[in-house]
Amino acid sequence: MNEKLNDILSRVAVESLEKLAFIFSFPEEDNGDMDYDSAAAAGVSFTGPFSGSLIITISRQVLVELTSNMLGVNDGQETTPDQQEDALKETINIICGNLLPFIAGEQAVFNIDTPEIIAGADAIKNAVTDSDGRKPASSVKLDIDDEQCALFLFGDIQVVGGLVE
Amino acid sequence: MSINVLIVDDSSVMRAMILKTLRMTGLPLGETYQAANGQEGLDALEQHWIDLAIVDINMPVMNGEEMIDHIRENLEMKDLPVLVISTEGSKTRIERLQHKGAKFIQKPFSPEIIRDTVKGITGIGANDE
Repeated sequence: MNEKLNDILSRVAVESLEKLAFIFSFPEEDNGDMDYDSAAAAGVSFTGPFSGSLIITISRQVLVELTSNMLGVNDGQETTPDQQEDALKETINIICGNLLPFIAGEQAVFNIDTPEIIAGADAIKNAVTDSDGRKPASSVKLDIDDEQCALFLFGDIQVVGGLVE
Repeated sequence: MSINVLIVDDSSVMRAMILKTLRMTGLPLGETYQAANGQEGLDALEQHWIDLAIVDINMPVMNGEEMIDHIRENLEMKDLPVLVISTEGSKTRIERLQHKGAKFIQKPFSPEIIRDTVKGITGIGANDE
């Protein structure tokens, strides 16, 4: 199931980034560690037929591009840190909302909490690395113009008539 | 004829995206108003003439579904066209919103789906003056 979950998570993330902000990304085979010092991260929790959380880590360079594209600002115009955090929270919210029906089926009802920023390299690393038996049910890395983006799905993920092709 | 639009979403970036998209579609926009949650949205509806409310679902203070319930219970607003733009993916919940008279678009969206849906629920043409 893990491989199938990874495939669905990467597919939903790739499609969401493209439709949301014209960001073109590709699943990355290399599982080298991300440089969390230059990364931003956000997470969102959900409850429903199963509960868990979804976390995104993304290089700050890509986050600036993501925010600019979402807002449609011209080259040379800068976005604020608040806008970048807001854009990242909205992005993980959209990926989560689109992901869950693929796993649990379209009739399943989930409550998705308000997304939160995970600030600081140590906090990001703690949130996404295996510890105390906490291991992601699925994790994928995406390549975006040689910059990294990664997604981690935590929880007791149960396939309930989902995993729609 | 132009339409006054209220955009209710707790993300300021998403509100800006929706507004930018509405402007791209060529729909005749009048005044546009923004609110960060359902309660602020209801306050805006009390204060301004609004022809269309675009509402997110998951918001703090008052969520979009509660806001729609208040709109439908209010004699002066009960027929207001409401378009929900949300990450919601559950058919069960989407059908519940549709039973409340709201149209639904899932995020992320395209300008075309926004244009066609707004034209459909307001009855306004893209080339109307």
